[in-house]
Amino acid sequence: MPTGDFDSKPSWADQVEEEGEDGPAPRHPFPGQPVSNFRCSLGSPSSFHATTRVLGISTDAPLLRGGSYKCVTSELLKGIPLATGDTSPEPELVPGAPLPPPKEVINGNIKTVTEYKIDEDGKKFKIVRTFRIETRKASKAVARRKNWKKFGNSEFDPPGPNVATTTVSDDVSMTFITSKEDLNCQEEEDPMNKLKGQKIVSCRICKGDHWTTRCPYKDTLGPMQKELAEQLGLSTGEKEKLPGELEPVQATQNKTGKYVPPSLRDGASRRGESMQPNRRADDNATIRVTNLSEDTRETDLQELFRPFGSISRIYLAKDKTTGQSKGFAFISFHRREDAARAIAGVSGFGYDHLILNVEWAKPSTN
Amino acid sequence: MKPILLQGHERSITQIKYNREGDLLFTVAKDPIVNVWYSVNGERLGTYMGHTGAVWCVDADWDTKHVLTGSADNSCRLWDCETGKQLALLKTNSAVRTCGFDFGGNIIMFSTDKQMGYQCFVSFFDLRDPSQIDSNEPYMKIPCNDSKITSAVWGPLGECIIAGHEGGELNQYSAKSGEVLVNVKEHSRQINDIQLSRDMTMFVTASKDNTAKLFDSTTLEHQKTFRTERPVNSAALSPNYDHVVLGGGQEAMDVTTTSTRIGKFEARFFHLAFEEEFGRVKGHFGPINSVAFHPDGKSYSSGGEDGYVRIHYFDPQYFEFEFEA
Repeated sequence: MPTGDFDSKPSWADQVEEEGEDGPAPRHPFPGQPVSNFRCSLGSPSSFHATTRVLGISTDAPLLRGGSYKCVTSELLKGIPLATGDTSPEPELVPGAPLPPPKEVINGNIKTVTEYKIDEDGKKFKIVRTFRIETRKASKAVARRKNWKKFGNSEFDPPGPNVATTTVSDDVSMTFITSKEDLNCQEEEDPMNKLKGQKIVSCRICKGDHWTTRCPYKDTLGPMQKELAEQLGLSTGEKEKLPGELEPVQATQNKTGKYVPPSLRDGASRRGESMQPNRRADDNATIRVTNLSEDTRETDLQELFRPFGSISRIYLAKDKTTGQSKGFAFISFHRREDAARAIAGVSGFGYDHLILNVEWAKPSTN
Repeated sequence: MKPILLQGHERSITQIKYNREGDLLFTVAKDPIVNVWYSVNGERLGTYMGHTGAVWCVDADWDTKHVLTGSADNSCRLWDCETGKQLALLKTNSAVRTCGFDFGGNIIMFSTDKQMGYQCFVSFFDLRDPSQIDSNEPYMKIPCNDSKITSAVWGPLGECIIAGHEGGELNQYSAKSGEVLVNVKEHSRQINDIQLSRDMTMFVTASKDNTAKLFDSTTLEHQKTFRTERPVNSAALSPNYDHVVLGGGQEAMDVTTTSTRIGKFEARFFHLAFEEEFGRVKGHFGPINSVAFHPDGKSYSSGGEDGYVRIHYFDPQYFEFEFEA
């Protein structure tokens, strides 16, 4: 009676073997392990050709075994298009005709089971299951157990895994953790944590301690920015923002990382709270920046001009219908000196492939 | 790794256990079906039909001839492993929470719940003596007066029983006399699972107090602690590496807003000596209720609240992983 042996025998299995010998344990093929499940929908005959091509892609065999089996199997399956396992011409799939019978093709040690089914919607499905047949060595007792007749709910099951009960799940890999800090952070939070922890961030353009994108800081501005930072009590490392992020939490509440509403932030204008339409917007401290690229946003402008002082208002001119930027914007500072510095600092600055033009805003002709 | 998903149960899994050689995996759940699977490919060998309530525990003897299951239908049943036939039915007064064959496969023990006015008992039957089974009279019965036993295993060489209680105490009862040999209280809350190492010199306990602890089997000396933030439902020791796997998670009813992400419940791997976590495996849709290592250490299985059992065969990275202290 065929039995099997294992490549790696547990130590006590040797003792089992030594006892009553009916010769060396012979081999025994396992009916097969589920390798992959593949479903494709078959519609009209014209789409049939497309789907057979899809079938040619086979998924990797799950690596059910350790040791030497692994590499061989997956490469093997990658190389074999399923079509070679099934050389007979594709059966006619005329709508309304009876379904073709299920087929089993054994090609070397790959068994391909093809089944046809009709879904509730009347769609025909072709299910291709690929099994890898392996011969393994096992101790006598194990091999004997492999040949037990199935009982209970599995009594009428065919040999091999039953689809209703056994499926191969998606790939999961063990995430290795080397230090305790990694334990608590999720993948999404990782960049955030890294940012917060980092003090040294260098801009590609000017090597200042801020992010490169939309870098307005030339070397001349670096020390100015540091001054500002010291004034506001921020550490230099916290100046950077992710592109697109709004103003960061201010110094007073920085350490807790809590959200601070704009009206309570440092340098925030309380006037923003009132809904009164006296929007003088600090006319004397308003500058106009032109030659902006069309994908510049308010947030970019915020980032760009924030270091010069507290901003009262940003107006980015946009086309009413398309919403696309018209290429210019008005920035209103709270203090005129800040606005003056901004003009000096940003004028002529290269921002996203265009040279920015900054000047005092002419008063609106209302 | 591509885990094999076994869907044989409709309710949450209560325990999974490998047989001694590791080729069969027994799974029991809160439904009355007891399943046995080939661990190599996940093929189901059969089911043992007969229980009428949730099955709490399962054990197979060393020879894989008999299977013992304990259930909430107030019975402990003995089955023939190969045919699925029920060999013996031992009625009890309350639900059977843990059961086990001793080392030689001749003596069975099971513990019953404290329920409906009945106390918690540990009963011992000798299978070589048919009169005990027929008359349903154990040759020894140990009462336990305080908190009920929630998990129990045979000690090394069948000399004693190591039992974990609802309050977190660990007791070592002599299998001959029934008296308490050693008593320790290291856990603060219920001990959910106890599993021995392959050589039975030590065991790991999984407790609701979010830790798992390693103990020496004979002295019950506490050796190591593995901390997590969730109640640990089950823990298993690797037979060939210094690794322990913990499975846990909050009870289904406690989960309100936490972790609704699919497949987030993880099995965590700790290094035995350094007490530090080095790996996690996701995949379950609910808390993991039972974990078991394959006796050859190359794979492990976990059964969850979702009713699925997943058999994982390790990638080479697991075997090559060196823990940097």
